[in-house]
Amino acid sequence: MILRWVRGVVAVALLGAVAPAGAVVTGSIFGPGTATIPIAVVPVDDQGGARQEAARFAEVLQRDLELSGYFHQLAVGTFPERPPSLGLTAAETDFPAWQLAGAQAVVKGAMRRAGGELVADLHMFDVGSRTEIAVLSRRLQGQSGDVPRMAHRYADRILEHLTGTLGPFDSEIVFTSTRGGGLKSLYGFDFDGGQPRRLTDDGSLTLAPRWHPSGRRILFTSYREHVPRLFDLDLGTGRVRRALQTTAVLLNGAWSPDGSMLLVSRETDGNSDIYLLDRSGKVLRRLTDHWSIDVSPAWAPDGRRFAFCSARAGAPQIYTMNIDGTGLQRVSYRGTYNTSPSWAPVGDRIAYVTREAGFQVVVVGADGTGARTITQGGTNEDPSWAPDGRYLVFSGRRGGRRSLVFTDREGRFQKELTTGRGDDTSPAWSARRE
Amino acid sequence: MKSRTIALVAGLVVVLALMTGCPRRGSTLSDADLDAASRSGGLTEQGLGGLGSGSSSLERAKRGLAPEEDGILRDVHFAYDDHALDGEASSILDDNVAWLRENGQAKVELEGHCDDRGTIEYNLALGARRAKMVKDYLVTNGIAANRVATISYGEELPVCHDESDSCWARNRRVHFVILGQ
Repeated sequence: MILRWVRGVVAVALLGAVAPAGAVVTGSIFGPGTATIPIAVVPVDDQGGARQEAARFAEVLQRDLELSGYFHQLAVGTFPERPPSLGLTAAETDFPAWQLAGAQAVVKGAMRRAGGELVADLHMFDVGSRTEIAVLSRRLQGQSGDVPRMAHRYADRILEHLTGTLGPFDSEIVFTSTRGGGLKSLYGFDFDGGQPRRLTDDGSLTLAPRWHPSGRRILFTSYREHVPRLFDLDLGTGRVRRALQTTAVLLNGAWSPDGSMLLVSRETDGNSDIYLLDRSGKVLRRLTDHWSIDVSPAWAPDGRRFAFCSARAGAPQIYTMNIDGTGLQRVSYRGTYNTSPSWAPVGDRIAYVTREAGFQVVVVGADGTGARTITQGGTNEDPSWAPDGRYLVFSGRRGGRRSLVFTDREGRFQKELTTGRGDDTSPAWSARRE
Repeated sequence: MKSRTIALVAGLVVVLALMTGCPRRGSTLSDADLDAASRSGGLTEQGLGGLGSGSSSLERAKRGLAPEEDGILRDVHFAYDDHALDGEASSILDDNVAWLRENGQAKVELEGHCDDRGTIEYNLALGARRAKMVKDYLVTNGIAANRVATISYGEELPVCHDESDSCWARNRRVHFVILGQ
């Protein structure tokens, strides 16, 4: 069953005047010996007709903050303040009690139903300075179905305040999976904590999903016409059709950041090469013309360069090139098997997979410097960057199956995102939703 | 009887249409350089839609069956991350060539497969190389190119799932699917 993906409108606004406020944490969060911040997310106060939604908001927010790796949650049982009658200003906040409870940051909010919409007012307090963090005083509005997105957007703002970069949680991950039995199909996953949603069900083999920059379509490879071809799924209507009118065998493809062009790996006569196409499928340029395997093109966010995997040096390595065909540069230098590049949307880094005691994820500067292996042991493949360039998702073999694993670009932690049957593979992380 | 003839003719027309790849309106990946390349690929790009391919690994997988190993024509195997044919592979291929000579109407689809170590997209390309390597051997030994199609399934349709050298070796293969005769 193919589910439609309906998007609500989520409005976010700052409450009151924006006053300069000290950051909760200064300096880099990535320094050695950095501890996580103890945070209390107080149950959101239901001010009328919003009991379930208020609980859901808090649940999603807590999960995002936990996933982020910056926070650990304090237990509700220790909270000195709880609804009902929750004071939402600094004057009404019992900072000494929060300090005793071990909190460094406190989130308090209230939600009500108004004119068919839900309105949530959120506030965050810094216990050490006994002040409210003004930029995190926010009003979020939306329909019932938008509540998780409201929580994601607030979590993203908290991360922005903490680190200077918006968090990644208001986004989606599509991936392929055999969890429904049979061959791989497309599934979609968001951070709401629920089960992934099935997106395709055509009884054939589905591979290599990639987002269209609009966030409303997925490009993927399918064998539904017997040979690998590119197809386009409209998330709004659920309709699947050929992405290009061609009889060519295309192993995978990727949309440019502005949606005007595609990079594809085309297989002809046993050889795979990379082509640049316009969005109607017309060839703009053949980018590789080499007897070796050239595959897995990955756009740079500026739309002027791309990374790819080539075996031209005798074994697969990662290269970058300008889309005018100039500037070939090798990026991977360790090991004899480097594949599956993904270019970060922010921060000019490339993630790829290296064969080393299994398969590991490596993060390197786009100029080839600073390579760091961020997984240890086992089989870890298909890295895809979060929209903030700070986190990644990859497919890892864990306990006999492959699941989606969430980590940051330094590999400080790993959190399994999906559970269930079958194998979850080939994740693709969307841009932040607008 | 007459309606059956009509059905047969209609079926043949469909087959012919699939085989010649009806050109589509609108701008396509059919600029001159690509078209020339694709024609030299024989049956590769049109594919044959799985007609008569009961032992196609994909068709079997759709029915919940594991891929076939060694049909009438035996599988050939490869070393890791390699597409070269060793002595044993050549020997098997010589037998397969002999059969194809004796059965001059038969067409085959060569499926290139990989073990599951290594990434999905690279393995798709590697499977294609392996299939092409075998096709080249057949053609060099006198089998007409238009009797041989190739397709890659990468690591997607393994015959076994163990994390072991012997299972991986079984998966690194080109499998012959006999189509129509």
